[in-house]
Amino acid sequence: MLFFSYFKDLVGQEVTVELKNDLAIRGTLHSVDQYLNIKLENTRVVDQDKYPHMLSVRNCFIRGSVVRYVQLPPDGVDVDLLHDAARREARGG
Amino acid sequence: MVVGLREFALRTGDGSGKPILDEPNGEELMLVQPSVAVALGNRSIESPGTLYITSRKLIWLSDVDMAKGYAVDFLAISLHAVSRDPEAYSSPCIYTQIEVEEDEDEDESDTESTAVLDLSKIREMRLVPSDSSQLDTLFDVFCECAELNPEPIEEEEEVGGGHNWVFSADQMDVHGGAEEDAEWQISQSPTSVIGHSNGDEGLAQPMLELQINDQRFEDAEEMVHESEPKDH
Repeated sequence: MLFFSYFKDLVGQEVTVELKNDLAIRGTLHSVDQYLNIKLENTRVVDQDKYPHMLSVRNCFIRGSVVRYVQLPPDGVDVDLLHDAARREARGG
Repeated sequence: MVVGLREFALRTGDGSGKPILDEPNGEELMLVQPSVAVALGNRSIESPGTLYITSRKLIWLSDVDMAKGYAVDFLAISLHAVSRDPEAYSSPCIYTQIEVEEDEDEDESDTESTAVLDLSKIREMRLVPSDSSQLDTLFDVFCECAELNPEPIEEEEEVGGGHNWVFSADQMDVHGGAEEDAEWQISQSPTSVIGHSNGDEGLAQPMLELQINDQRFEDAEEMVHESEPKDH
């Protein structure tokens, strides 16, 4: 649930979602649900030469289970808050 | 567990041509979109057909060929999006990426699939409604259904745990077998028989000395005596 809450705070920010099939999609985080399914808006494929047909995709729903990484904006990370939350989660609290 | 696209021809016999759903297990029809064409991978578009969105899967059924249809579980749909750029695809469509089994020999399958299409290897599917104003509605229903089908994590863990448990039980059997083997080797193998006889002599003397030199080892001596009848 930590990541769910965390990603919810990132809604509206620009992120890059890298899928397990190596496709990386950059876009504005529109929403995230408890399964970490991610909806992006104004998306563009990072490697456009490799995936030309994805150019047109404006909004996109990505299944949480196929996400490998989510690259965050550097200023989108409140390190202290994340540390605290991670500690709390680790303690099972 | 997750298979990609598959053929689907289960239709009700009442002439409506609707798909038979797994209603006893809670599968529900969420949306029916008539007049939808489908394009699998880079293949040419197939039409006309009807798209049935259920709480479990997408079903596309041909309107003309009652034996023709495709289905894919929402669990296997990695990504879906609305595609409107004519440069990317000639018609506005819902673009989907489908998760397929990865461990196949791709080169082989590529050469084979030129002759016979292997649906389970299709990684992309485009659904093209004749009424493109429906795209956003379709997108939203897709999202809703994807959320209805989360990864069965707990089940997988249970299954995985089950496997682990069974596996470790197997391993225990193996260990048990190994232990038995080890015991068997100790008691039956010629070397240990030799070792045993040597041991009798070898042990007897130090024990004798110990008896003489140190009474504290009496217990140890008794243990040796106790263990001997078992071996014989």
